[in-house]
Amino acid sequence: MARTVVAARGVGKEVSSGGAPLTILSDVSMSVAAGESLAIVGRSGSGKTTLLSLLAGLDLPSAGEIELDGTRIDGLDEDARAGLRAGRVGFVFQSFQLLAGFTALENVMLPAELAGLADAQDRARAALERVGLGKRLDHYPHQLSGGEQQRVALARAFSGEPAILFADEPTGNLDTTTGAEIIDLLFEMNAARGTTLILVTHDTQLAARCGRRITLREGRLDG
Amino acid sequence: MASAMAYAARRLRRGWRSGELVVLVLALAVAVSAVSAVNLFTERVRAALEAQTGEALGGDLLFRSRKPLPDTIRAPSAQVRSVDTTSFATVVFAGEASVLASIKAVGEGYPLRGALRVADEPFGPARAADGIPPPGEAWADARLWQELRLQPGTPVQTGAIALRVTRVLENEPDRGNGFADLAPRLMINAADLAATQLVGPGSRVDYVRLFAGPPQALAPLLDAEPPPNVRRVRPQQARREIGNALDRAGQFLDVAILAATLLACAAVALSARQYGEKLRDEIALLKTLGARQAFLGRALVAQLLLLGAIGALLGAGIGYGVQAVIAALLSDLLQLSLPPAPLWPLLAAAALGLLMLLGFAAPPLLAARRTPPVRVFQRAETGSTGARATWLAALATAAALLWLATGEPKMALAVLGGSAAALLALAGLAWLLVLALSPLKRAVGMSWRFGLGNVARRRRATIAQVAALGLALMALLLVSVVREDLLVSWQSRLPEDTPNQFLINIQTEQVEPLRQFFAERGRGELELWPMARGRLVALNGEPVTADSFDDPETQRWINRDFNLSWGTTLNEDNRVIEGEWWGESGAGQPWLSAEDYAIERLGLKLGDTMTLDFAGEQVTLTVTNFRTVGWDSFKPNFFLLTTPGALSDAVPKQWLSSFRLERSERALLRELVAQFPNITVLDIEAMLQQVRGIAERIATAVEFIFLFTLAAGLCVLLAAIEGTRAERVRETALLRALGARSGLILRGLIAEYAVLGGLAGLVAAIAAQTVAWVLAEQVFRIPYGPRPLLWLIGALAGAVVVAVLGWISLRPTLNTPPKTVLQQV
Repeated sequence: MARTVVAARGVGKEVSSGGAPLTILSDVSMSVAAGESLAIVGRSGSGKTTLLSLLAGLDLPSAGEIELDGTRIDGLDEDARAGLRAGRVGFVFQSFQLLAGFTALENVMLPAELAGLADAQDRARAALERVGLGKRLDHYPHQLSGGEQQRVALARAFSGEPAILFADEPTGNLDTTTGAEIIDLLFEMNAARGTTLILVTHDTQLAARCGRRITLREGRLDG
Repeated sequence: MASAMAYAARRLRRGWRSGELVVLVLALAVAVSAVSAVNLFTERVRAALEAQTGEALGGDLLFRSRKPLPDTIRAPSAQVRSVDTTSFATVVFAGEASVLASIKAVGEGYPLRGALRVADEPFGPARAADGIPPPGEAWADARLWQELRLQPGTPVQTGAIALRVTRVLENEPDRGNGFADLAPRLMINAADLAATQLVGPGSRVDYVRLFAGPPQALAPLLDAEPPPNVRRVRPQQARREIGNALDRAGQFLDVAILAATLLACAAVALSARQYGEKLRDEIALLKTLGARQAFLGRALVAQLLLLGAIGALLGAGIGYGVQAVIAALLSDLLQLSLPPAPLWPLLAAAALGLLMLLGFAAPPLLAARRTPPVRVFQRAETGSTGARATWLAALATAAALLWLATGEPKMALAVLGGSAAALLALAGLAWLLVLALSPLKRAVGMSWRFGLGNVARRRRATIAQVAALGLALMALLLVSVVREDLLVSWQSRLPEDTPNQFLINIQTEQVEPLRQFFAERGRGELELWPMARGRLVALNGEPVTADSFDDPETQRWINRDFNLSWGTTLNEDNRVIEGEWWGESGAGQPWLSAEDYAIERLGLKLGDTMTLDFAGEQVTLTVTNFRTVGWDSFKPNFFLLTTPGALSDAVPKQWLSSFRLERSERALLRELVAQFPNITVLDIEAMLQQVRGIAERIATAVEFIFLFTLAAGLCVLLAAIEGTRAERVRETALLRALGARSGLILRGLIAEYAVLGGLAGLVAAIAAQTVAWVLAEQVFRIPYGPRPLLWLIGALAGAVVVAVLGWISLRPTLNTPPKTVLQQV
């Protein structure tokens, strides 16, 4: 049995909206084993993205426990959680989230640099080479197409050799063909490195390629 | 650390062109250049004054008095040499010609430092003189040679004796090249002085004793307090008039610098906040990728330092250039060879820039560090803005900056309080005006409705923006008000009919004959002021001497005789500030009117009594009112005034008068001196010309510095407009996507900016008037009335300037396809 790298136990999230409490997640328990790929699916507003941000330690739950790579993170402050993410966790976003003022190479170097790795540039070059953008190192995001930008984001996500990759609707901003290419690339890289993959999507095709799927309905796990 | 720096450098490499960073760097450069230009220049003048050696004085030290110097002031040892000089003004004659000349009788050994230079004919080759004019001879300067049409050996009638003029005096080391000693010089031997019979009791004479010797031998002279009525002058104090002129200009410069610095701070704070807002998405992403607060803090501070270095370098460069221009503008006027500009004022100005960054830019920027990483998913998450800490830091820094810039904590606090009050008032007024606008919406066309709707909908943002725009416009208006009104009223204080002749030493029995003399020559009624010279001996019945006061300025002041005058009407340039002027009814009452300075020095209150000793006759007077006096009006004025009849007949009295004499009427002086030989005529025409010249030149220099204030104001305007740019760009794109034609949007935006600018301009005009009035009343002490037209100009100018700047800022987006804009945002 593989090691559990991400776990949630009785996780709930409430926010106040206009003074009244609004429950976004309630009593969610789940776990993901190392190397596993998991799709979180559900309708808009079901709490998928909130769950993803809690699992990645971007936000704190109102109730319950969360474990990331063997460490309880629900009691850690923001800096400690960031420190835990550095070098262990990669991200792919629907809106790519590249820094506009940085070249493709510089964008990809960021996670390794933040993790204090000395060979950040070599890793970044290799990662960009791997996604087919070896000749676009010095291009800025606005000089790249949507699909190319998402490739850069994939290169960035994998350059730090993360143990876990979180992806939020990675094909949401792309046309079907380009989206399919990105998905192929994502799973290829995932398989090659044995990375744990947790992704949020309502693209059934994409969800079908994951080893496991969980569905959220109105903030609760369905079934 | 290295990677935070690398990140900052990378971030700025492409990001510096974003509007708010350009504004930030510009604002910083404006503040640094304004402060460094003024400080560099004043520092150079100060250094030049400090570097004045004994040669500027004719000795290492001198004592000066209006009365013969006591023998107790003498060389303390054989190592110290000493010589006396005696100077006074009198009219001298050569044949038919006569001129008011400044006579200087010098003793053997003069000058102790430096050398007299003489020539055989005017503008002939000059050489160092071997000694002083021998008895029976006199040396005249070139001007006197020309005015008296002298030939070598011509006898010049000087009081009771005639002296042969044998040399042209080219240069004497202690000749003040400023405003004193403006009459042409006739130098005579001290041995001839008595024979002239020009020096006696009551005559206006400048007695000087010069000393020279090694510093330790001079020490006893420097340690002892000079006797009453005697002033001790060291070489560094030789050019006092320059210091005084600079002090005056300094007030205007201070206002300009303070306004520029405060505005630059506002621009820096606004743009740093905008930059911080812009960085929030990026910071959330970096946190997601594992960045810690410390890294983010270092990266943000590194960006600030890089920007600061650019701004400070730019500012220091501009400042250096500007001070060179000011120096060139004023150097011939100051007749002072300025040393090269030192570097430390540049460093100090750069430090000020750094402080601005730390106080105004760092807090709002570092607040962005608290953006939660979850913002990568939820854009609305901003986290804490740290508003309170930001305000506190800004306030503390503003106080420190103002203190640094002016060197006066009291003034810094006053300006800070004033600015805070102005900002609050601006915000309050803006709120009222926004409320008043709302009902208008239904009465106007679609573009205006759209524009006004925006103004009303974003009420808080509108108020903040109107306050910021108002602040900038206020500074701009204030600069124009100060420039136009205050400088002009300062300059015009010496109108063409300013008296240029003073008559002093007039005896009471000469008053009527003198009036008659002027009436006979068709010059109308001559104005005469009576005066008596007395010493303060008691305050409220308590005997006082100089030792009764701690502060040296008061001690020096008390040691002199007070000139006291009396009358029932006040000179036009006098203003009663407390109590009431007695008018006709006061005659004979033992009342006293004291000038502002007397209040400050003696701590007087209404109802206090002062006992004055007039040559043994003591009179006690009660203070019934306080006045301010426009000392630079060149009219006779007095610290103390009493009522006619308050002084007994036993008090010795004199009269003085002033009038205007055109160049063509100068023959009158000759007749006057012939008929009233004891009356001293002081011709101050040349001095008036010089003062006018100085006012003009300094006004130009001050205007030059005001350009910085103007630039700082523009930075705030730009920052305020840039602040809502992103939001407007998004809205515009959305409206266009919904089918609005760009013409409609453009008109709506212009309407909105025009309303914003108009509101801000109106508010600014009101505030600028108030500040100008306070400055005129409290600082410059010159009259200033309301200017209703300025309100209209303010509102119109605000509307136009802001609409144009807004149009320039948003024009590119109107021509960009909405899809591109929406994708970018």
